[in-house]
Amino acid sequence: MSSELRFLVVDDFSTMRRIVKNLLQDLGFANIAEADDGKTALPMLQNGNFDFVITDWNMPLMPGLDLLKAIRADERLKALPVLMVTAEAKREQIVEAAAAGVSGYVVKPFTAEVLKQKLEKILQARAATVS
Amino acid sequence: MVDNERNLERLRPLLERLTAAVGADDAPEFERLLDDLVHARRKDLFAELRQLTSRVREALNSFQLNARFADLAEREVPDARQRLQHVLQLTDSAAHQTMDLIERCGPLVEVLATAGAQPLPAAARAAASQLRTNLSEVLLAQGYQDLTGQIVRGVIRLVDEVEATLSSLLRIVGETSACNGAEAPAVVNGYGPVVPGVDHGAAVSSQQDVDALLSELGL
Repeated sequence: MSSELRFLVVDDFSTMRRIVKNLLQDLGFANIAEADDGKTALPMLQNGNFDFVITDWNMPLMPGLDLLKAIRADERLKALPVLMVTAEAKREQIVEAAAAGVSGYVVKPFTAEVLKQKLEKILQARAATVS
Repeated sequence: MVDNERNLERLRPLLERLTAAVGADDAPEFERLLDDLVHARRKDLFAELRQLTSRVREALNSFQLNARFADLAEREVPDARQRLQHVLQLTDSAAHQTMDLIERCGPLVEVLATAGAQPLPAAARAAASQLRTNLSEVLLAQGYQDLTGQIVRGVIRLVDEVEATLSSLLRIVGETSACNGAEAPAVVNGYGPVVPGVDHGAAVSSQQDVDALLSELGL
């Protein structure tokens, strides 16, 4: 996995942002920015060259599902990989996120291994599309 | 219906004497008996009014005397929210403190793993590896703050709703009941911070209305 990738971690809990950030660093990624909800995240994505979004679902102002839809609706952002890391675990929600174009879905609490596997899978699929 | 029949029975002698006075062309007697009749009717009406006002007052008093209700709305429910917010802050702070320590432990493990005899004995290598794994798991376990925090926030939203509902109820009670003498202003003032926009004027005027009615009835 390329360590040059730029990540945006979106979660309203600073503890969870820090956990994900640490795990990403353990995996060799150093370029990580944070946002506390979708409304803050979207302009950051539109103005910055991010390669990957890891977002929570349940957040104030703009929840993760709306952020995902906004990303997919944005011409410049629509191909951006979006991994949802959330406590929302109902079947219908996962189906809805998939329909909205989520790249991966991790249910909290999760393990470092699960996060790593999902990341690798998404990045491999992305590499295959790009090449 | 029963009351009407009883009234007819009660007033029959008076009516018979009234009819007799008409028959006898006795004007003074007729006037006197007519006054008696009107007085009797007024007495009935006042007795009913007295009963009615007494019942209204009891109902309003029972609302106002329920100080627990006001206490819940103006103190305990907001307190509950404060407590829950405090739980969020405490767990957030504890989780970050734990992660501070984990982040400081990482480099220490590397120091242990690289210092001393190289290559490191197998047991030391295994211990260093296990330490890294354990630290990573302790880090992930801090996710409890997010998971419990989401639940606590849900309860805070519920508390907000309960507070809003209590406030609405108090506003209704505050507007309709103020017949409790000296107690009423204190209760209404007490509601102030919880129910912005409560119409104190209306409460006072309904107090006056009730007082006026009571004094009219001689109570």
